Amino acid sequence: MSDHQPASQVPTVNIDRLVQKLDESIVALEESRPFAKAGKLPKLFDLARRVLLQPGGCEVIEARSRKLEQAGVFAGTDWADPSILLPSLTTYSLQSPNADTVVIEALSELRLLAVAKGDYLHTGVSAEQAHHYLTQVLAINLGLLFGMTGEAEREQGKLALIAQALVQYVARHIGYEHVIDSLIEEIWRILEQRPIRVSDVRRMITQIAICRAEPNADLGTAGRGADRLISSLYGPTRACSEDPGITIYQQRLETMDNSALQNEATGFARSMHDTGLVSPYHAVFVRYILDGQDSLLSDALGLSSTGRDCLLCYRELAHALILESAFPETAQGLYGLALLLERGILYQPPVAPALWRQLRLSLCPQAYERLQFAYGYQPNPSAWLIQGVLNMLGQPLGVGQGNNPTCQSARALSMWAYNDPDYLLQMVAWAARDNEIVMHFEGQPVSSAQSLGGVASEVTLDLDPVSLIVVPHLDRIYAEMGRLCIGREGDPHKWVNPEFHGWSAGRGFAINVDVATGKLTDLEGFIRYFYASYHPYYNGNQPLIHPQPAGIAVTDSAARFIGWHAITILRVALDPDSEMRVYFFNPNNDSGQNWGDGVQVSTSGFGERFGESSLPFEQFTSRLYIYHYDPLERGEPAEVNDDELGRVIDGVYRSWGVDRVPADTLQAEPPRTD
Amino acid sequence: MTEQNYNPDKGYVALLGWSLNAVEAADKFDRRYVVVAPDWAEPYCQEHNIPYVPWNFERLNDRSFEIAQTLKDMGVDVAIPLFEETVEWAGAINSVLMNNPRLFGQAMLLRDKALMKRRAQLGGIRVGIFEEAHDREDVVRFLKRVNQTLLKLDGDPNDPIHLKAFDKAGCLGHRVIRTPDEVDTIPDEEFPVLMESHLDGWEFAVEAWIHNGKICFLNISEYVTLGYSVFVPATPDLEKYRAQITAEIEKLIKTFDIDFGFVHPEYFVTSDGTMYFGEVAYRPPGFKVFELLERAYGFNAYQGLIMAFDPKTTEEEIKAFFPKEVVDAKGYAGCFGVYPRRRVVSRLEIPEETESHDYFESHELTPPLEETVTKRTAFGTHWGLVYFFGEDPYVLRDLLKHQEELDFYV
Repeated sequence: MSDHQPASQVPTVNIDRLVQKLDESIVALEESRPFAKAGKLPKLFDLARRVLLQPGGCEVIEARSRKLEQAGVFAGTDWADPSILLPSLTTYSLQSPNADTVVIEALSELRLLAVAKGDYLHTGVSAEQAHHYLTQVLAINLGLLFGMTGEAEREQGKLALIAQALVQYVARHIGYEHVIDSLIEEIWRILEQRPIRVSDVRRMITQIAICRAEPNADLGTAGRGADRLISSLYGPTRACSEDPGITIYQQRLETMDNSALQNEATGFARSMHDTGLVSPYHAVFVRYILDGQDSLLSDALGLSSTGRDCLLCYRELAHALILESAFPETAQGLYGLALLLERGILYQPPVAPALWRQLRLSLCPQAYERLQFAYGYQPNPSAWLIQGVLNMLGQPLGVGQGNNPTCQSARALSMWAYNDPDYLLQMVAWAARDNEIVMHFEGQPVSSAQSLGGVASEVTLDLDPVSLIVVPHLDRIYAEMGRLCIGREGDPHKWVNPEFHGWSAGRGFAINVDVATGKLTDLEGFIRYFYASYHPYYNGNQPLIHPQPAGIAVTDSAARFIGWHAITILRVALDPDSEMRVYFFNPNNDSGQNWGDGVQVSTSGFGERFGESSLPFEQFTSRLYIYHYDPLERGEPAEVNDDELGRVIDGVYRSWGVDRVPADTLQAEPPRTD
Repeated sequence: MTEQNYNPDKGYVALLGWSLNAVEAADKFDRRYVVVAPDWAEPYCQEHNIPYVPWNFERLNDRSFEIAQTLKDMGVDVAIPLFEETVEWAGAINSVLMNNPRLFGQAMLLRDKALMKRRAQLGGIRVGIFEEAHDREDVVRFLKRVNQTLLKLDGDPNDPIHLKAFDKAGCLGHRVIRTPDEVDTIPDEEFPVLMESHLDGWEFAVEAWIHNGKICFLNISEYVTLGYSVFVPATPDLEKYRAQITAEIEKLIKTFDIDFGFVHPEYFVTSDGTMYFGEVAYRPPGFKVFELLERAYGFNAYQGLIMAFDPKTTEEEIKAFFPKEVVDAKGYAGCFGVYPRRRVVSRLEIPEETESHDYFESHELTPPLEETVTKRTAFGTHWGLVYFFGEDPYVLRDLLKHQEELDFYV
């Protein structure tokens, strides 16, 4: 891999011969016993690497992607199941100094390209999913695409050529401009769900900004639509529109008169509420006006009369929260604060004192380290945690589970932030200060410190600060509650869900899958009671009072069963087209999923509030497998007409009900980006 | 998971020692098999449903009979040693399984280099001068005596002598001593050793599969540089001795009374065509020669091993299984053992010219774990193998030789 030799001295490689060797090694792998496959891989990877280094290498590999996969190159790795692959991880694998990592990533991308082009009919991923995934991969690796190489590539030596050739090859088949434009579309789609964690979005926007600033990268007309996104981070107002840097901006503030400051305040607020993204300059501005100009605060946060009222009542608290937590790095917390004020939850008596406790909370070393590990040294971990608290209380439906199988815990956090904010603050205090949470299961204390372990073997760091601290505890408690149900007949969620989520979760429990056999059971009764409990036409027009946990059988775009997933039913109401819809919260990180058979989960355009997902009532019911109800209020099974009932049942049969798998896992699969 | 469909009319074999390639070959073959290996192999075998009996091959002791009895009760017909350390175990077990105590004695003979040479000598096989050494004084004496025999005068450069452990495979513990000063570098724990005079000749190895006392297949492995590189089949320059070599192997079979199995002897052929016997092992050779044979001929040498050991193998099976030596080879396969040449290395870097060569196949090198390369004592162990395959044995030979001048670790 010495790159100091001029190319002319290198003997030319006989590509045909190399390909023949590759084919032989694929056959050797294919014919190998499963226990011995690992031994055949190094040779195959090395040959694939050499092929990829040749001109036309990508075509060669792409043409063999089916054979490669069937021979078992991905067996036992994360790449074995393409539907769980995360585009954001490809940056690391493509820039890895380890040849095998780069090669397996390349093999996987080229396989997905074959799938996207329709050349390879894959059982685990559809052509659209593959196309979508590759678009995201390209978006995230724009630097590689436009040949902007940095230190990482230099470290990589010749491997960087593979990564570049690969990304460019994929882009040629997917379409360059298409990438940037669909990336922008993608960013807007994600932002419309107002997630708490926006670091990926920030990274993508930064990538576009860098590409546009690069004179050598020819973007054509693509990327024109990114202005608002880029400016929301790097220059939302007139005084910082050219991204002057924080020091210069601060100097400019000092020379501004009142009306100029007023302009800045409204500029920031407009941009923030437009995108849900907060510029670091915004934090600088807010800190500046706190000192003597705080009448501008309400405008800088873009508050309505409700929010402004709340701010005036709790002025001191708001100031303290900003002083302790709003720094350029944690600017995103301002958006949380604005929405928190708008929600008026400070008027609930325990919330303000609980926030004061939060401000003075001393973190246990474990929490301190975890925050520092995930977010770095600046500002201090407490500030990050306060930012997280503000965002979670302001955007309860923006909670995401990261790349963890902890949908239950994420759902609980969201539910409490939405419904029971002081309880959430209590949980944060226990976890962050004491490193222990104790909940009760049927009167018996369950401690997170004494649990054997959670559902997730390790909770990753791609989480908002609150989840980062609280989820590991909740996950262990949740798993422990599950263990306490061992030996009981039926699905453990029946007992765990109400105990875990709180008194407001209905004690009545309905499930349409027989746990022992995994087969559907009493589907009709299940549906009729669901209508009777939730559908306003059948329950006496009673809106849902408390958000309720429910279980979904998630299916992919081909309507194939993927896994069980925890969601929250938030409300059932008529949409702008007078269609009855279920509005729900999905703790996965991107809710706009295609569940196949015409079931397309919507996140905007049908009356959804930020962070809500929605489906027409029938379609939702066709993917539902668990719901809770109040046994004291349960009426008669609803007289749903046969047509509607038939459509729901058919929807089940055509999708996840086709071939029933046993319900032996407690929790959902990691999130899927669809 | 095993997908094996074995033929119940054929033998049931026990593989002594853990070798993934051997297990896979057995699993794809039609003989029932069981792996006998130390208990660290157990989780892997359980996970993949590989038939397995735990056994720790330390020294033979009073529990040895236990494993023989276990295998006998299971209905195993024969035990096959995969490593030097399991050769005497195979002998001990087979003497029980086949009710033939002679097999154990034979194994002990094949395990001890000094005994082996004596027996060869008794059988009329030509060997060099050799002696056991128990301490450094013995070595100095032997070095002097050998050089006196060679009519060297004081001050003439000595002919070197070779020191080898009695019971280790291949180059492990192999040292070359030229002066009495070098004797001091031998650590105490290496004694006792076998000392041999240096034979100026062309060293090569043979792999022979034997069934019913007859040679089923005889391969000649040509060393380019001992301890560095080997390829199969040999060049015509060496293959021209094939008839003579076959006769030597037949002598070996008779002398050691070998009825079945596999031998891997080493010989020197001097410029006048005289063969000197070096040593013989009753197990598959190192340097992945089995894998090279499969590459060159397309037959699985481990499966050949199982056939040769299985008492229920028929003549026809043997005929059908093994190809015709040299003429049936599709090409020449060789490998090169890499030793870092620098004292400090930071990364693995396959030389461009090696990687781009038409004959280059693959390598098993891993990135360095430490930056400082420990000084090689004796012949040492290579850091991994690089494989080549091509049509011209001379091109291959020169290519293998050339690798010695290249840096794989920089």
